[in-house]
Amino acid sequence: RKRQLLTEIVLRNRLTALVVDADTTCRVLEQLLLRSYGVQTQGVDNGRDAVTLIASGVKFNLIIIDMILPILNGLEATRQIRDMGVHCKMLGVTACSGESERQAFLAAGVDVFIEKPLDPEHLVPILRELDG
Amino acid sequence: MLGLAADRLRADMNRLLSFLFHQGILDEQFLQLQQLQDETSPNFVSEVVNIYFHESEKLLRNLRSLLMDREFSDYNKMGIHLNQFMGSSSSIGAKRIRNVCLAFRAASDQNNRAGCLSALEVLEHEYCFLKNKLHELFQ
Repeated sequence: RKRQLLTEIVLRNRLTALVVDADTTCRVLEQLLLRSYGVQTQGVDNGRDAVTLIASGVKFNLIIIDMILPILNGLEATRQIRDMGVHCKMLGVTACSGESERQAFLAAGVDVFIEKPLDPEHLVPILRELDG
Repeated sequence: MLGLAADRLRADMNRLLSFLFHQGILDEQFLQLQQLQDETSPNFVSEVVNIYFHESEKLLRNLRSLLMDREFSDYNKMGIHLNQFMGSSSSIGAKRIRNVCLAFRAASDQNNRAGCLSALEVLEHEYCFLKNKLHELFQ
């Protein structure tokens, strides 16, 4: 099945992704899932570190960001990242999705909103799109 | 002989997994973890599950500590812990724990302390059950 997952997509370009999640289990799994598709990843566990990293000039093709984060929450971190003029694909994730959460996260600036867990069904089309 | 023992072990593991799926304790997300395991990371599933156990026990201690505080009123903080527990549980396929967290969160949203205490006891019980079963699986 993993071979099937891997051959489902062969990336032509080297994509990079930032995973912003306070929960270690989620962050490790999301990074590993991305790496299984050949995406280079970095992970941070709070919104402020995500903003600081982006502000330092590091560029990513994809940012996966949890809504609930310590220090600086996911909504505010997303707004600040967008306010910096960053136009990369942002995927908002949350453990419990309601319509109000979805609307709030989309209004903050994410392109896609997903309820955890992050799975290939959602991720692969995004990676294909980013790969052109 | 060794082959027979290995077959028996595999059969026992499959039976345990079937039981966990059938009882709704785990869902297909656990299969995805297994799919990410390969020869370059042969212990990946047990390593991730151990991270989950470590983080979950911290969260459970935090939840209990909040609720045992006589002057507790910070339901927002409780919601944050629960949200994290729900996210990590759904990420490893711990379906029943996730569902208990949902019920817990509903009580928390209503500022229902008694309901939260009740839900915490169920959550602790479900967590212990899952931990024991997964230890059995990895042995």
